[in-house]
Amino acid sequence: MVISYRDALKVVGIIIVCCCAVFVCTLFLNYNLDLCGIEGELTTPAAVAMYYAQIDMGRVTVGVTGGCLVATSAIMLVAYIKNYIDSHGRELGILKAIGHSRISVAKHFVVFGLGTLVGCIIGYVASYIYLPAFYRTQNADGLFPDMPVTFHPELFIVLTLAPAAVFSAIAVLYAFMRLKTPVLDLMREKREYAVKMRQGKGQKRTFLKEVAVATLKGKKSHIFFVAFSAFCFSAMVQMAISMTEIASQTFSWMIGGIGLILAFTTIFMALSGVVRGNSKTIAMMHAFGYSDGECRRAVLGAYRPISYIGFVVGSVYQYALLKLIMTFVFAGVDNIPDYNFSWSALLITFAAFVLTYELIMYVYSLKLKSLSLKSLMLE
Amino acid sequence: MISVKGITKTYGSGEGAVEVLKGINLEVDDGSFVVILGASGSGKSTLLNIISCLERPDGGSVCYDGEDITKFTDSRLTAFRRTNIGFIFQQYYLLPNMTVEKNVRMGADLAHNDDYGKIIEAVGLGDKLEKYPAELSGGEQQRVAIARAIAKRPRVLFLDEPTGALDENTGRQVLDYIANIHKTQSLTTIMVTHNSNIARMADRVIMMNSGRIVQTYNVDCPQSAYEIGW
Ligand SMILES: Nc1ncnc2c1ncn2[C@@H]1O[C@H](COP(=O)(O)OP(=O)(O)OP(=O)(O)O)[C@@H](O)[C@H]1O
Ligand SMILES: [Mg+2]
Repeated sequence: MVISYRDALKVVGIIIVCCCAVFVCTLFLNYNLDLCGIEGELTTPAAVAMYYAQIDMGRVTVGVTGGCLVATSAIMLVAYIKNYIDSHGRELGILKAIGHSRISVAKHFVVFGLGTLVGCIIGYVASYIYLPAFYRTQNADGLFPDMPVTFHPELFIVLTLAPAAVFSAIAVLYAFMRLKTPVLDLMREKREYAVKMRQGKGQKRTFLKEVAVATLKGKKSHIFFVAFSAFCFSAMVQMAISMTEIASQTFSWMIGGIGLILAFTTIFMALSGVVRGNSKTIAMMHAFGYSDGECRRAVLGAYRPISYIGFVVGSVYQYALLKLIMTFVFAGVDNIPDYNFSWSALLITFAAFVLTYELIMYVYSLKLKSLSLKSLMLE
Repeated sequence: MISVKGITKTYGSGEGAVEVLKGINLEVDDGSFVVILGASGSGKSTLLNIISCLERPDGGSVCYDGEDITKFTDSRLTAFRRTNIGFIFQQYYLLPNMTVEKNVRMGADLAHNDDYGKIIEAVGLGDKLEKYPAELSGGEQQRVAIARAIAKRPRVLFLDEPTGALDENTGRQVLDYIANIHKTQSLTTIMVTHNSNIARMADRVIMMNSGRIVQTYNVDCPQSAYEIGW
């Protein structure tokens, strides 16, 4: 069969995102479940206020982080399968041509759910290991009685097996839909967008501009990933810096760490995809004598403005979210400092962002350089 | 003039090493039409890639008007290809996500050539400007590849089995375009093929076998694409 279990493990991006999502969700949900158990034991008004604030905080975090990450991994999964079908068009076309039905081919895509399972389990286990420390930080003021970590089997199922099942179903369903493409078009690797990209007469761009436009239009998921990557970097690093002032140190390390992991995973995924997807164009441009700089600007440069947009959106988002949490969730709790937009956090994050992203772009431009025509011709 | 001296090239190392070129010497006069002939695996493509600066040899020199390009840095080599070299490959290598017109502009832009529309007309694709490669036949795709290479206004045109994937009729058409361009623009043309009939179209034929040149001869009276056998 065309799809092996190793293909499923190549969805590193999905594994990492799932891992982060489940890590955060397990942390807060397990805590919330245990916290509910001690509600009756709370006596002081301060403890009760803190109790409700933490319960809400958990809900908001799980909703925002979890929801955001689940959406991301779903998009990653779909993009990955689309890419897989596009690049294995020949094999899939042959399978269809020799008489395999659509569903009998599509059902093999179930293995892509495996990546989700692996990621979820890693995230769950990591979270479980971290839970005792998390419980201590959450109760740093000693407002609550001591609370042991309890294992909640239903949580385990909801956070590991259920997502894996849902994602496997999405994978099969999506593959089933994509495989509707006629056999010949699958085999010819006909580009869908090829027909859609007609443009009006009179507006002539240079060839290099055309490459930039075609790159952007070719795989829309790359645009999302680049923007999302910048968004994560911007939002979560700034949040981490602000949180050292208003919450605990461990908490900000966690948020910042997850933000960076997500940012790097998605940007590497997107740019690798861009380079892979354009390798023939780039090799041909080299052969014709387009310089490295021209290839780089045409293929990668188009993504720069997108990453800046992602950064700006991330800054606004994190401010709104923190303000919201501070104003509404912790409204009744004493000793919570006021939260204002931190320009210094923005500046530090922006400097780090520009440095990292230019470095990554540079690394990928070296990758472009090493694409030899010969190796592509042997394909 | 292009002069190639003592080119060697080995792929792999240790026990698996294959010596593909074993000391090649040849000269190509400006404006001539040279065909490199040889069996599959004799090293023709490798030699062509080396003369056209796509690949570096292990030893020897490739001089264009006395300048040894094997000594060039990568960026200088790219700049050299930009102004001097045109390629046409057996597998066309058109950009699949761009129309015929944009594919040709890939070459035209490099030479600031705004007149490329005429070239597309000349290869008979004037009515297919907005088509994508997947919508063209093999012969049409190869003609786009020719237009793309010519639009660049190269000094030397390299062709690696340009008719390898084409049937007789389309093959002759394509060869006819090439011969025409060679004649009207007195463009130095170097073509690789394993079809000895095609060699009759050239001024000069270089025969290769197992990484060596075994014979070189001039053709007194080159034939047209429609006169040669197939
Ligand atoms: N990148 C490579 N690595 C290893 N061996 C190679 C490589 N490229 C070519 N070869 C070997 O070099 C030899 C000559 O290859 P080349 O492509 O030059 O032959 P050719 O004369 O063009 O053949 P054909 O007519 O089939 O195209 C072959 O035996 C091939 O296996
Ligand atoms: Mg060859």
